[in-house]
Amino acid sequence: MPSIVTAERLSKTFQVKVRDPGLRGAVRALFRPRYRDVHAVRDVTFRIEPGEIVAFLGPNGAGKTTTLKTLTGLLYPTSGRVEVAGFVPWTGGPPFKRHIALVLGNRQQLVWDLPPEETFLLNRAIYDIPEADYRERLAELVALLELGDVLTKPVRQLSLGERMKCELVASLLHRPPLLFLDEPTLGLDVTAQDAIRRFLIEYRERHGATVLLTSHYMQDVTALASRVLMINRGRLLYDGALEVLVARIARTKRIELVLGGGDGNRVTAEALAAFGEVKTFRFPNAVLEVRREEAPATSARILAAFPVADLSIEDPPIEEVIRLAFARGVEEGE
Amino acid sequence: MIKRYAALIRNAWLVDLQYRASIVLWLLWGVTEPAIALGIWWAIAGDGSVAGYARDDFARYFFAVMLINQLTIAWDSWYLDRWIREGDLNYRLARPLHPAHEAVAENIAYKARTASVILVVWLLVAAAWPAVRLPFDPGRWAITAVAVLLAAAMRFFISFTTGLLAFWTTRATAIMELHAGVSLFLAGRIAPLALLPPAVASVAGVLWFRSMLAFPVDLLTGAVHGPAAVLRGLGGQIAWLGVWIVAYRIAWTRGIRKYGAVGG
Repeated sequence: MPSIVTAERLSKTFQVKVRDPGLRGAVRALFRPRYRDVHAVRDVTFRIEPGEIVAFLGPNGAGKTTTLKTLTGLLYPTSGRVEVAGFVPWTGGPPFKRHIALVLGNRQQLVWDLPPEETFLLNRAIYDIPEADYRERLAELVALLELGDVLTKPVRQLSLGERMKCELVASLLHRPPLLFLDEPTLGLDVTAQDAIRRFLIEYRERHGATVLLTSHYMQDVTALASRVLMINRGRLLYDGALEVLVARIARTKRIELVLGGGDGNRVTAEALAAFGEVKTFRFPNAVLEVRREEAPATSARILAAFPVADLSIEDPPIEEVIRLAFARGVEEGE
Repeated sequence: MIKRYAALIRNAWLVDLQYRASIVLWLLWGVTEPAIALGIWWAIAGDGSVAGYARDDFARYFFAVMLINQLTIAWDSWYLDRWIREGDLNYRLARPLHPAHEAVAENIAYKARTASVILVVWLLVAAAWPAVRLPFDPGRWAITAVAVLLAAAMRFFISFTTGLLAFWTTRATAIMELHAGVSLFLAGRIAPLALLPPAVASVAGVLWFRSMLAFPVDLLTGAVHGPAAVLRGLGGQIAWLGVWIVAYRIAWTRGIRKYGAVGG
């Protein structure tokens, strides 16, 4: 099966006006404007297969959203080749746009003063959705997102979470095979974030949709994405499974202990330090960091040396791995 | 496409119905300017006339301005400017409908609601005040309708194209404000063009300003004499409409390549 998204040597450069501070700088910029090139995306190449959920990872300004916007045809690339669902996005026109949904976490298409159902009806007309299909899809999405009586309240009276759920409904009524989600859980509370994640997993299972998302929340990435594209300063640093990235970057593992033994023979932090770096210690809980390849052997030694009620071996928190990956580079982590 | 327009117009009206006060304010704004201009010219004309315009002529002229200005005015540059600068164009570009269609539908919705109210007001005033009555002349009304349609289309493209300048500058609305200021005089909003100095009036005629408003107003009030003058006026409208459509095409195709799609 051909790839649903292909990007080859994709680059996007913006020209940004620069001026010196102060009044003199402002006046000079008026007569002799100066520009500098900002390379938002540089030479990025990747392919995405139908049905994949892929997350773009990267700090602010890394080029994630620019890539996403180029794939949806909002931006024209400076160079490179892009094919999405068989179309070149910026020349694909309406037939291409029927294949995609774009959800922007901080921009909404819902009409602010009207109940969300009015936007849904508008999209029904814009996407030319037959009445029966519209009813069926709306019922399915409302049930999956547990929207209940929200549809008849004006959008301005909805909570952020309810609004994002309605945004998803509005964007999915035409049942696109390809979803582009830019920060879909931005600003939502934990419950709402979780509801959106569960919905996306369920939706993808039911309809086989391909999902590309950007998010600052690592839980989104770990819960949803089978593959990550790590971008920094416009360059693609890593393309692959999250677990592989973690194994490559994280040279350590964490041994989490719940210690046994009464007050009389308490295990001390000093005693544990002989087995690895003690990250936290608050009897009876302790966390040790040890070299990745030594984790099984060290665990066995700990079990032999101390009364242990529980022991688990974990990777370091994903946020820390990602921070390390950006700080040291992916290759260096090997 | 008809279904899409119906849905867009329906939504525009639904939003309007949420804000009754704003509808009244917009209507007052539309009525006040010609009413003040009429008051001034009414006082100046006294019992005589100014450049052939007596009090009754001024009354008919400004009632026609009131109606036709509402039927042809376009606010799109303000919307476009915001869509582009704040990134609200993003989801509009992701839909299989050119954003201009949404703008046209908004125009139809706005014009239908304000112009219908002004028409009712005109009819009520005409019932009591013979000066503002127009002679029954379906032929002239039909030609006026064509001229109004051309003027509305042209003003839409002027406004939309000027709004597209937001792809390049943050001051697109200032350019539109400047255009509105000039058109106050050159389009005949503040006085019939016949009252302007001949040189200024000819500039209004050579450029697109007369076609925007004064020509359809003159058609409706019977100030355009003879088929040749009517055809010249309609020809000017068509030519300038063509120019603005070309300008729009250039601004759109070049601007969209420059779009930064700010925000999410």
